Amino acid sequence: MIKDITLGQYFPMHSFVHKMDPRMKLLFVTSFIVMVFLSNNFISLGFCLLVTAFVIAISKIPLKTVLKGLRPIILIIAITSILQIAYNEGGIVLVDIWRIKITSGGVLTAVFMALRISLLIVMSTMLTYTTSPTSLTNGLDRIFAPFKKIGLDFHTITMIMTIALRFIPTLIEEVDKIMSAQKSRGANFEQGNIIKRAKALIPLFIPLLFNSIRRAYELANAMTCRCYNGGQGKTTMNALKFSYRDYIALGSVAGVIASVILLNIYCGEYNAEFTFGITV
Amino acid sequence: MAIIKFENVTFRYESDEEGVALAPAVKDFSLSIEKGEFVAILGHNGSGKSTLAKLANGLLLPEKGRVLVDGMDTVNEEDDIKIKQTVGVVFQNPDNQIVATIVEEDVAFGPENLGIEPTEIRRRVDSALKTVGMYEYRKHGPHKLSGGQKQRVAIAGIIAMEPRCIILDEPTAMLDPIGRRDVMNAIKRLNRDLGITVVFITHYMEEAVEADRIVVMDDSRLLMDGTPKEVFADATKIRSIGLDVPQTCQLSELLRADGIKLKNDLLSIDELVENIDALLKGK
Ligand SMILES: Nc1ncnc2c1ncn2[C@@H]1O[C@H](COP(=O)(O)OP(=O)(O)OP(=O)(O)O)[C@@H](O)[C@H]1O
Ligand SMILES: [Mg+2]
Repeated sequence: MIKDITLGQYFPMHSFVHKMDPRMKLLFVTSFIVMVFLSNNFISLGFCLLVTAFVIAISKIPLKTVLKGLRPIILIIAITSILQIAYNEGGIVLVDIWRIKITSGGVLTAVFMALRISLLIVMSTMLTYTTSPTSLTNGLDRIFAPFKKIGLDFHTITMIMTIALRFIPTLIEEVDKIMSAQKSRGANFEQGNIIKRAKALIPLFIPLLFNSIRRAYELANAMTCRCYNGGQGKTTMNALKFSYRDYIALGSVAGVIASVILLNIYCGEYNAEFTFGITV
Repeated sequence: MAIIKFENVTFRYESDEEGVALAPAVKDFSLSIEKGEFVAILGHNGSGKSTLAKLANGLLLPEKGRVLVDGMDTVNEEDDIKIKQTVGVVFQNPDNQIVATIVEEDVAFGPENLGIEPTEIRRRVDSALKTVGMYEYRKHGPHKLSGGQKQRVAIAGIIAMEPRCIILDEPTAMLDPIGRRDVMNAIKRLNRDLGITVVFITHYMEEAVEADRIVVMDDSRLLMDGTPKEVFADATKIRSIGLDVPQTCQLSELLRADGIKLKNDLLSIDELVENIDALLKGK
């Protein structure tokens, strides 16, 4: 179960997207997210969907893997959709039985919202799927380097991120190990009511916490032995350099922004009416 | 000049409770490790071996006495980075030493911290990974490697800083026999081919006999210091502090007890066979 978590997972492959500079990928993803939020009609959002499909296609990551990344938020999407369908009253009434009233406005808004959330998540997971955590944090490090002058040290934050990502698989393995150990002594994690199950988790988390503290202590020692001093004067083996790919990506960023704005303006009104009052 | 020199070092951990002083983990300890040596450190649990390793590169600072690394006193803040670059330490649990999510990026961590040029880092990372035989795995995630492979990556991470001395604190303790053999071979290569001074803390006697010199610790103090032959010749003393002697020593001891005149310092199987052979022919 816990092994399904794909958060922060990286799929090393040779593709246009993998070889892009992490800074450009960050720029691309953030502007894409903003544009998805700004899209106010189905045509703009459909365009964003096309962009996403294109990125997935050239990244060579299997569609199945990408969709797997959506699994953890299916519940959120479902709840949002149900709320929209239940409370949105615009448009034609489709169903009206007893107290349930479903309108076309509700359904369309639900679809719109679901699509919007999915696009956000898919594009963000594409970032981690195609960028190694170290390269991602290198990118963040470089982007935030100027802030050091005003006393904001982002290096610590990016270092914490790298270590967190590095230890996710280790901790998952450890949870599995402790669970098996407790199960072999008769612990039961699968039965009983919620309180009972929560109680069963206590003997799981205490050793996990204890071990993590010991790990942190040992890791700190190991990092000190390797001359880590908070990132001062640090160089990087894979120095970041923009290539032709990144200039193409920069062009695409401009293209996406312009397209969404234009589609919003020219298709906005017609669609807003058509989709029964969907605005930003 | 010795690469690491302990001069009457005493060290005591801080107690969790206030006012309660713990017994020293290292007591009045003096030892000098020369360049190019391969030293094994033996001692039962809690005898102070790990503490010694941490004192040797300034992770811990002595309460009394001093530790000199290539002439630099470890209490001097200014020399801190230089000391840690000169003496690298590899610990027991490889999982807790690997920082990055890709093998080669982890090996690059030390040189990156030292501010070395990217092209030079690349060269060092490649050569370090080749030395430990992990070059083919350079693009892998560390969590997919076996314990022995992870430990070799951790060793590569240290040698990429090009230290002159490496201290390994029970690097094979969590490994299976194959992992242990691979790590041991990598360590021997460091000493023989690269001329790096190796200080090797272990519980395995078969590994200790590979060293040029064995230091035995007991109860926070230095108990014995000599070649493997000298140290294991006194099997009674070794046993009295709860350690084993290598199997060849045990066998020859038993045979001696039966009146067979074998030498008492036979460490390898070949030596033992030769000795028995000579005795049989002599008769
Ligand atoms: N962080 C610590 N705080 C307090 N006491 C400690 C700490 N680490 C070690 N000690 C104590 O110091 C003594 C020496 O410990 P050390 O870890 O150096 O032994 P060791 O020879 O490495 O043992 P082992 O073979 O088990 O690794 C022990 O009595 C131990 O309990
Ligand atoms: Mg120890």
